[in-house]
Amino acid sequence: MVRLEKIEYKPMPVRDLLVEMKDISELMIDLAYSAALFHSRELAEDVLELEEHVDTLAYLLDMNAMLAARDAEDAEALVGVSVVAAAANKISDAAADIAAIVLQEIGIHPIVREAFQKVEERLARTEVKPISILVGQRLGELELATKIGVDIIAIRREKKWIINPKEDEAVHKEDVLVARGAPLGIEEFKGLADGTVRKLED
Amino acid sequence: MASPKRPFKKIVDKLVELKDTSELMMDLAYSSLLLNSHELAEEVQELEEHIDELHTEFELLVLSSGFKRKESKDFLGLIRLGVVTEKIADAAAEIAGVVLRGLEPHPVLKLVIEEAEETVTRVQVTRKSSLVNKTLREIQIPEETGMWVLSIRRGKKRIRPKPGVVIKAGDILIASGYAEGEEDLMKLASGETVLPA
Repeated sequence: MVRLEKIEYKPMPVRDLLVEMKDISELMIDLAYSAALFHSRELAEDVLELEEHVDTLAYLLDMNAMLAARDAEDAEALVGVSVVAAAANKISDAAADIAAIVLQEIGIHPIVREAFQKVEERLARTEVKPISILVGQRLGELELATKIGVDIIAIRREKKWIINPKEDEAVHKEDVLVARGAPLGIEEFKGLADGTVRKLED
Repeated sequence: MASPKRPFKKIVDKLVELKDTSELMMDLAYSSLLLNSHELAEEVQELEEHIDELHTEFELLVLSSGFKRKESKDFLGLIRLGVVTEKIADAAAEIAGVVLRGLEPHPVLKLVIEEAEETVTRVQVTRKSSLVNKTLREIQIPEETGMWVLSIRRGKKRIRPKPGVVIKAGDILIASGYAEGEEDLMKLASGETVLPA
């Protein structure tokens, strides 16, 4: 029998729930294509895990939105929120479908990989080596976006995901960073993370 | 790399186009909500029709490619990826539908989209801009501004931003990126700043 987690009502701001759903669903698409690109079962499993999380958020959002409506006007205003949440959920499902292609060993033809590589060169997933100069620095101090045009969109720290990490989040050794940026910046970023680039130029 | 068989190359090109279009649609759909813009929302709906056609063409190409039995898994992977892009496009169309149905987007929606640091912007290239008559490859917009050109509008036509595309005066560039990059791109397009030599 399939056992799904029981979801109990928790009072949560609809806004926070929707931000999280939108961010995670978009990240999932990136991760899923990367999983296909690098043929990574591990990434594909991450995607499925996130998909379950988005389902939970969708239930919580619906419950909170229902309670927020007091009259017809509220209902008209809130229905848009629930349509967008449903769309985000659909996107996370689509990402999970890509992950399933990887996990079921259906396979992605090498030529597809090559074609996607061109589109996906803006995305990288890399582990922070203990000798990297990034270790111990806060994202706000590093200013990777202004310096090399690279944005860290997620951090995987052991079993946990930090999606859209905040400025005061510090990089730990062995973090897996998922970043987006222009090809040149991404190359430099990978060097910084594995310790071969020792200096971050302004 | 061994040169791929021609039909296969066509299939992959079509798939990349499907993927690009579906992602463009998502960006435009969220922007249409943020700006409560019917124009952008209609563009999403138009793209939805376009992607339906693309998807059919793609599936026909796959099915008529005469693949061998041992290749069937690879081709199943292709079909599945096509379905995914279609699903994403549907989701985008649903988001744009909120605007087209005349439902004033709830303030929460604007907050949510603004919270995402990336924005989508439309800039028109003026006659005096240094971008005119240069290819996308030459002008290196991502390196210069941190913005990605998602689509180019030339009159009624929509052009895919391939590296070899030449920018013309009057083009409207639809680009995504960070708020800081938006201003840089606007200045380049208006001619207020000039590309470094």
